[in-house]
Amino acid sequence: MTKAKRLILLGGIIIFALLIILWRPTILIYGIQRAGLYAAIALPMALVLGIVHIVNLAHGELLMIGAYLTYFVCSTFGMDPLVAMLPVSAVMFLLGMVVYKVTIKHTLKAPELNQLILTFGLAMVFGQSVNLIATSQPRTLSVDYVSTSLTFGKLTFGVYDFIFPVAALIILGGLLFFLRKTRVGKAAQAVGQNPKGAEIVGIDVDKIYLIIFSLSTALVGIMGSLYLTKQSIFPLVGGPYTMKSFALVAMAGIGNLPGVLFASLILGVAETFLLSFKGYGGWSNIVFFAFIIIVILIRSHRGKQI
Amino acid sequence: MKILTRIILPAIVVLLSITFPLFAGPYQQSIAKTIIIYMILALSWNILLKTGQISFGLAGFFGIGAYASVLLSLRLGIPPLLTIIVGGIITAILAAAMGMIILRLRAMYFAITTLALGEIFRVIIHNLPNFAGGAHGLILSSVIFDGNGYFTYWLFLAGAFFSIGLSYFFDKSKFHLALTTIRDNEITAKVRGIDIFKYLLIVFTITAGMQGLAGGLYSQSFGFVTPESSFSGDFILLPIAMALLGGIYTTAGPVVGAIVLGVISEYLKLYIPYGHLVVYGLIIVIVILFMPNGIVGMCSNTFRKVDQFNE
Repeated sequence: MTKAKRLILLGGIIIFALLIILWRPTILIYGIQRAGLYAAIALPMALVLGIVHIVNLAHGELLMIGAYLTYFVCSTFGMDPLVAMLPVSAVMFLLGMVVYKVTIKHTLKAPELNQLILTFGLAMVFGQSVNLIATSQPRTLSVDYVSTSLTFGKLTFGVYDFIFPVAALIILGGLLFFLRKTRVGKAAQAVGQNPKGAEIVGIDVDKIYLIIFSLSTALVGIMGSLYLTKQSIFPLVGGPYTMKSFALVAMAGIGNLPGVLFASLILGVAETFLLSFKGYGGWSNIVFFAFIIIVILIRSHRGKQI
Repeated sequence: MKILTRIILPAIVVLLSITFPLFAGPYQQSIAKTIIIYMILALSWNILLKTGQISFGLAGFFGIGAYASVLLSLRLGIPPLLTIIVGGIITAILAAAMGMIILRLRAMYFAITTLALGEIFRVIIHNLPNFAGGAHGLILSSVIFDGNGYFTYWLFLAGAFFSIGLSYFFDKSKFHLALTTIRDNEITAKVRGIDIFKYLLIVFTITAGMQGLAGGLYSQSFGFVTPESSFSGDFILLPIAMALLGGIYTTAGPVVGAIVLGVISEYLKLYIPYGHLVVYGLIIVIVILFMPNGIVGMCSNTFRKVDQFNE
């Protein structure tokens, strides 16, 4: 894309955003909150998929498991979900290690199709195991501080949800620091670019895969805890997030972590925009698919292999 | 020996499957019909897999076929038998249109985009309350053949034979060579002058048509469609587990897998009423990790070893 075109696009988006602010400011506020949730869930996927190229179709199910773990920890020990986040993420890190060691490790050298089918199977195992253990009954955790609201003149909106964009920013910052400044992070980038080359220069490739995969599971687990504070959960709650996360990672371009934030912002605002029309809210769930199709068309029009 | 395996054995199987309702009760017949539905889906999934593409769009096209068939008979009063076929054709046309776009993607991008299809179609149907019945679905005034078990079973069987024949065609015709080349190495295929996009589009359209056909059979024999049941994830999970367990890249694999798992699942439903689907997930994981050639692959390996031993 040329610079002029990019400026026009950016200008168009800004004007559109301004119009929305003038018309219904809540769309932008809730859109940003929603975008934060999407971005924070998609970023761990961007890490695994974009940096070390592991496809994980069980991503949303890991979110769901994190949420269920938090639920049980909180309801048994009376813990606050924001505190329970720490033990849950540790458990999720271990779960990630086990999943990697037992299954994913063995498909890394096989064709990509095996990884896809395997993680699809894993997603089903996770979803149905939770269904067996906890039944399909929806569960909610009621925490009183989530309904705090703020009023500006005529405008009243929930403040707590801003925790999602904040979480997304923290995760993004942390990941960028990790990838650019730490030894393990740099090694991970090397492994992503060329596993054989990385092995030759003395990087323990298997360990890097293990660390990155477990790290992403732990991050998703944290998001599970946060997710539980606002939404009710059931065994199939994760599925759509796998697809939306993937759509966001694809929109941003594989390996582009900050781009995920931008893509989520577009998706979040677009969905909230549709939700604000009475009777058309149901259509908001296909917005992400429309985006996938648009991205495919634009990129194939430009003649790039996606 | 060859006559036995090539002619007599298949003839016995065909004869048994045709005369099945004469000695089986309604319960066994309904199991057989369910198995056939999943068998058609597993076969169609496996055909596309031969090109190296994984489609998770099974449930989406299945549901579209189911809805198309019911809508055609409700809105236009077309006889049920015809609606099943037309429903399959409509699904194929829709798939061709979608394929023009999404087949530009390969491997995981294609797979995940198709995974979204079922969800997308479900949401669309959900939001069309006047045309497609919305969340409540649609109910037919009567099921096909007025519920005559024999005819319904034979219709299903015809669908199964049609699918097996189609899968066999893709195994044996020159298509097979092109598809295998595409799967093994797209660049080689391109150099050899194979129009990859054209082949993929043809296969994608035909397999989606088969899935639509299965949907039509299902909806006409049960007499209703709802967004939740017609686009259910079961129609992705079970066929994939069946094809994998039986053995992928062959025609016999999905057939064997569907029969074995279909019978097992009846027992599973009795012992684990909720969450028996976990078994299918486990089967997928175990097969991918430990027996990538499935039952058929293992059997033919054993036979080969026995043959070598005899020689």
